[in-house]
Amino acid sequence: MTLMKAGFSMTFLHSVRAFALAAVAVTSVSATAQGVTDAILKNPPRDSWPGFHGDYSGQRHSPLTEISPANVSQMTLAWTFQTGLGGGGNTMKSTPILVDGVLYFTMPDHVWAVDARTGHTIWHYAAPPNKAFHIGQRGVSMLKDKLYYMTSDAHVEALDAKTGKVLWDVMVADSNKGQWSTMSPLIVGNHVMVGASGDFDNLQGFLRSLDPETGKTQWQWDATPPVGTPKMTSGGNIWMTGTYDPEQNLMFWGTGNPTPVLNGTVRPGDNLYTCSIVALDPETGKLKWAFQPSPHDTHDWDAVEIPVLADVTVEGKPRKVLMQASRNGHFFVIDRVTGKSILTTTFGPVNWTLGIDKEGRPIPNPAKEPAQDGRLIAPDEGGLTNYRSPSFDPKTGLFIVSASPSYSLYFAKPADGTYGWAGADYSLWSKGELIAIDYRTGKPRWTHPLGRRAGSGVMTTASGLTFSGDASGNFLALDTATGKTLWHAGTGGNIASTPITYELDGHQVVLLSSGSILYAFTLPEHHAAAVKTAKK
Amino acid sequence: MNLLSKTTLAALAISAAAALPFLPGVSAQNATPVPAGPPRTPVTVGSQGPPPEHAKFTATQIDAGGSLFIQNCAFCHGKDAGGGESGPDLTRSKVVSGDKNGEGIGAVIRNGRQEKGMPRFSLPDAQIMELVAFVHSQQDKAMSQTGVRKGVEDSDLLTGNVAAGKKYFETTGNCVSCHSATGDLAHVAKKFTGLRLEQEMLSPRDAKTKVTVKTRTGVTLTGIETYKDEFVIGMTDTFGVYHSWPVTAVTFKEESPVDAHVALFSKYTDEDVHNLYAYINTLK
Repeated sequence: MTLMKAGFSMTFLHSVRAFALAAVAVTSVSATAQGVTDAILKNPPRDSWPGFHGDYSGQRHSPLTEISPANVSQMTLAWTFQTGLGGGGNTMKSTPILVDGVLYFTMPDHVWAVDARTGHTIWHYAAPPNKAFHIGQRGVSMLKDKLYYMTSDAHVEALDAKTGKVLWDVMVADSNKGQWSTMSPLIVGNHVMVGASGDFDNLQGFLRSLDPETGKTQWQWDATPPVGTPKMTSGGNIWMTGTYDPEQNLMFWGTGNPTPVLNGTVRPGDNLYTCSIVALDPETGKLKWAFQPSPHDTHDWDAVEIPVLADVTVEGKPRKVLMQASRNGHFFVIDRVTGKSILTTTFGPVNWTLGIDKEGRPIPNPAKEPAQDGRLIAPDEGGLTNYRSPSFDPKTGLFIVSASPSYSLYFAKPADGTYGWAGADYSLWSKGELIAIDYRTGKPRWTHPLGRRAGSGVMTTASGLTFSGDASGNFLALDTATGKTLWHAGTGGNIASTPITYELDGHQVVLLSSGSILYAFTLPEHHAAAVKTAKK
Repeated sequence: MNLLSKTTLAALAISAAAALPFLPGVSAQNATPVPAGPPRTPVTVGSQGPPPEHAKFTATQIDAGGSLFIQNCAFCHGKDAGGGESGPDLTRSKVVSGDKNGEGIGAVIRNGRQEKGMPRFSLPDAQIMELVAFVHSQQDKAMSQTGVRKGVEDSDLLTGNVAAGKKYFETTGNCVSCHSATGDLAHVAKKFTGLRLEQEMLSPRDAKTKVTVKTRTGVTLTGIETYKDEFVIGMTDTFGVYHSWPVTAVTFKEESPVDAHVALFSKYTDEDVHNLYAYINTLK
């Protein structure tokens, strides 16, 4: 990797490591390599992780069972991949995708294609330097032989998956005005769908569908009215990848906070569709229904946390549900056909509501809006949870989320104005824990302390394992039924991604990242067996 | 050399002051002697007082720092360094006001503030100086403004009732079980003011957890808990030596003064907070 030390370059930096090596690495699959198809996205094979969530449901639940509660403590390192980009804020936040034996993953301004068997680089693309916020990059997505990557300054680029060469580049938002991007695009049918990030500036949130071949806009859905509409909110940016139900041909996206952020007086009412979960038709972008976790938000509690889809039994009846553990401290179960609430609970300290209305939405307490002399609010602005992906284990019915019980002080006064943040808030205290919520009751079945607020997402497997990470850089494997630790590995880094797992040559691999390094774990006998085979 | 020793003394003075939170049974007066040093210019923040003095930076440095700031810092601290998502307003920061030429700001960038969620940044020295230049320029700009300002003035916080706050301190909140207005908290409102005082009141930033560890061989060590996760406990003993053990290899007892503060969060009304602050603010 040192050979390809990532410098910023105006031209595309393609690092095709020893050609022969790349050729050897892909030999075993090249005959069947097909890239990503609609069928793969709808039903990912065991030897793939073709999209941000794995499959479309957002459950991040793998059917693999080779690594189990009985043997997980034996897991050992197969390889690591050093991006060479460490340092402070530069943490890997992407979920790698795995297609045809190749892993594709990102950090801001960088994309890598790496051989999943060895961790060897196939190519590396460094995007041109740009001034936008570099707070994170959550990964690329793929359709056929093209990767779709969002640059920090809100361009979408199509890359040739074989070489990393840029095929087209379109700008979807103006980063100079305050929208930037971190998202892994969602691909449904013939649509590449993206939103932008941003909450400092009074801007209009949107979801845009692009043509996978050309990047041309197919449709755009706007979350809020045009900026400057009197008494109306701006904002509602879509930061995170949505989920999709192929049966209904319906997508589900969370939208971000209204703006001005902490000052709600100039934007009376619910401020639709900010802090909302919206169901959109992927062909047209038409809204089918919306549910608003935070009506008239004044605390920056985006509802962009992953809307997780599951077909479950509620009071003896089969239901198609959507679940969200929301930043505002509430756990929602919604009928995803109608958008109607089934259950609303809290999963930690929450003190900003007057209760829940008949539609299942929290009722904001006006006395808990930011004020000149400060208001003590739970949770804090970072929220009871945030961007980190949760996981749903259908067998136990547990929705497992990395949470952060917290308190803060919120301030706002007329002098703070009506643009951007328009106030100030200060977190006082927080801690981290994994909470396993029973979807039937909305109540935690177990809680696993993580120390300080942690940044890792969660993955579960059908063998009954839960993978995540704590705030001290420990990778964790827990027993899903009880929350007890079965395996851990200290990395000394900041874990800010979500683990994935896949089968490679018949054996299960668990892939995690910490700092700017990727780690692949397997059971030792398979690692040893692979070495023996290679020696023959 | 001269600069270095001055900086060290200043840093010592700051850390000594910061190391005196609302610890139970510790009197602020006699806990740690503040090392005698050259008199320091009082540090000002916000729109009060004269603008802080610092080294001159070039326009090129400030411009380059602005780009770096947008990429690395602006999400948390705001595009204008005036505060943003989870990060404080740097234009009102005492670290910034007290910094002359990167010695204070640079240290925070290089080391991060892990406990508060700020990562450390491995940037070349020249880039760190550019960030320093930009942050100073933003503070200068903010302090010269008299109009619309984000942030919290000391006077914003004084809406409570002193007598009600005293009552809360002595009865409802049971603060007196650990604190005394004439003991550890005497003059606390001189040491901290405004928002910082309220933050210290609600959640003392530097209140360390004390831990007593008993090893398998029967050795008992007492000190400050300096590391703790699910698997390892680390502590610095009274001689300043760091030790760590797997949590399964020892038995240990923690005394965490923050716990009592955390337990109050779910009990406070906003009125309680304002009243209590009004009272604490009288302990000058």
